[in-house]
Amino acid sequence: MATDARHATTVPAVPASLDRVHALLEEVWSAHEDVPADDRMRFEIGVVEIAGNIVEHAAGPAPLDFHLAVEVHPDRLEARFRDPGRRLEVDFDEAAMPDSMAESGRGLAMVLAVVDELTYRHDGVENHWLVVRRRAAV
Amino acid sequence: MIELDTEHGPDVAVVRPRGRLTMVHAADLRAVVAEALADGRTRVVIDLAHCEFMDSSGLGAIIGGLKAARQAGGDLRIAALQPQVMTVLQLTNLDRVLRPHGSVAEALRGD
Repeated sequence: MATDARHATTVPAVPASLDRVHALLEEVWSAHEDVPADDRMRFEIGVVEIAGNIVEHAAGPAPLDFHLAVEVHPDRLEARFRDPGRRLEVDFDEAAMPDSMAESGRGLAMVLAVVDELTYRHDGVENHWLVVRRRAAV
Repeated sequence: MIELDTEHGPDVAVVRPRGRLTMVHAADLRAVVAEALADGRTRVVIDLAHCEFMDSSGLGAIIGGLKAARQAGGDLRIAALQPQVMTVLQLTNLDRVLRPHGSVAEALRGD
């Protein structure tokens, strides 16, 4: 069985594209039925939050696309995003769960709660996000 | 897709998100709850039996609905949570603010 199969898509950074992200993940799980349900669910929470974050910050005069590639490895699930949007001010130390009645601001804190590694960088041209969840031992 | 069910009583609105409640439909949920409150339906139940996935935007819309319902002198309750939605509620420590009810009937009774 291929353990390094890569699934990827490039979609416009608009809310409706979140459905394309879910569709890509469904394709990944169909090809990797050995990934436990809990890992799938928690990884999907993280991936969809980052996709939502990109969409939210992509608002600008020109529409832009983002690229998402998902890889399934024997020990981990990886999602790599890249988009040509502006550099973001990301402070993981500030990504705490907000007040219970807050209506926004939980995204990054939710991602940090379900993944083992989350990195953000801007290389001068593009934003890059890496989301890694270690798989539960089978 | 968000359905509004008004069959449970003159002051009750049962709101049913179907499929995924993400950034795509969060605004629709806020609008349906606002419409129900404006109509005097201040006992709002969000029936999540057919909601398979919720993100932080969907959760924010439910919190917005809770605040609006309380401001209108009513309340908002959540019922029939699927595993992913329950996980999101627990991850965000909101299961204390929004106590999950087993069904719409239990939510209306306050069980």
